[in-house]
Amino acid sequence: MAKGRELVGRMKTTENTRKITRTLEMVATSKTKRAVDRVVAARPYATALADVISRLYSPELAADFPLLRQPEAEKRAAVILMTANRGLAGAFNSNLIREASQLVAKLDAAGTQVDLHVMGRKGIGYFRYMGRSMAVQRTDIGDKPTAADAASLVDAPMQAFAAGDLDAVYIVHANFRSVVSSPATTVRVLPVAPPQAAAGATDYLLYPSAVEILDGLLPSYVRNAVYRALVETFAGFYSTQRTAMKNATDNAGEMLTVLRRTYNRARQANITQEIAEIVGGAAALD
Amino acid sequence: MTLRVSVISPEAVLFQGETQSVVAPAFDGEVGILSGHAAMVTTLGTGTLRLGDGQSFRVEGGFVQVADNEVRVVTEKAEKA
Repeated sequence: MAKGRELVGRMKTTENTRKITRTLEMVATSKTKRAVDRVVAARPYATALADVISRLYSPELAADFPLLRQPEAEKRAAVILMTANRGLAGAFNSNLIREASQLVAKLDAAGTQVDLHVMGRKGIGYFRYMGRSMAVQRTDIGDKPTAADAASLVDAPMQAFAAGDLDAVYIVHANFRSVVSSPATTVRVLPVAPPQAAAGATDYLLYPSAVEILDGLLPSYVRNAVYRALVETFAGFYSTQRTAMKNATDNAGEMLTVLRRTYNRARQANITQEIAEIVGGAAALD
Repeated sequence: MTLRVSVISPEAVLFQGETQSVVAPAFDGEVGILSGHAAMVTTLGTGTLRLGDGQSFRVEGGFVQVADNEVRVVTEKAEKA
């Protein structure tokens, strides 16, 4: 029964793995729900902000705002990559890393100096392994990102951009479309692309003035873009992890069926052989 | 005549409903809004936002937008007080 014992061992490990993946699947399911709620809850603010900025913005004003500066050439750019601290989510992190590597390669080829800001252990691990220096490494942002977290990520590059030290800021994040689709995406948050004006302009009284209101709102707009990227990345992470763990659980189940069948067949063969031996032995005595 | 009010922070919509009046901490002092107010956008300072039904919120930064008896308080930081 040497083969049988080996099969029992494999069945046990598969069973244990299935227990883990099933638990993780359930954890991810409940976290997905909360993460998606955050994505939905972030929408009204973004809509309201975009609405007001589009009403106040006019191309003549653009020259007064450092955040609306349109550099002719990108001499130096910052790339903010958002990955998760954990794995076990299929190709989620590697898709984000690939998107970021491609962007960095493209910028390098264009002669742009790239500052790499990486959030999440997975991204940091990859770029450290590749021997690429990172301007900022963050692992402290958990699965409940706040607006303050977003501000801490983007405030330094935003100041550098306003001062003219940076010519563009890109974010590589997961674009959460639905629980089954959250592809890695690159967005350029700076220079700010002002939202398109909505139809039906109302004549607003503006206090203190359009310029001063815009001055306060543009940084909020940039921070909010980063906040949304953060919540979408986490929603994408948990939904991808859930799918990956569901597949792993299903596969473990399938594997168990095959193993159990093989084991039973081996056991049956063993018994048949033993009976044949006994019968043979008894026949020899006659 | 009532105002339709929503209080929105980056993370959530804290309040949405109808009320008689809104007192908001604008950049240069409090601004009171009743129904029929002219369309207006003004920036917020730091302080307490009070609604007609007695609710109040601590707010910091952002803006208030008024149009057609609809008041949107969009603030960077808000918590129920």
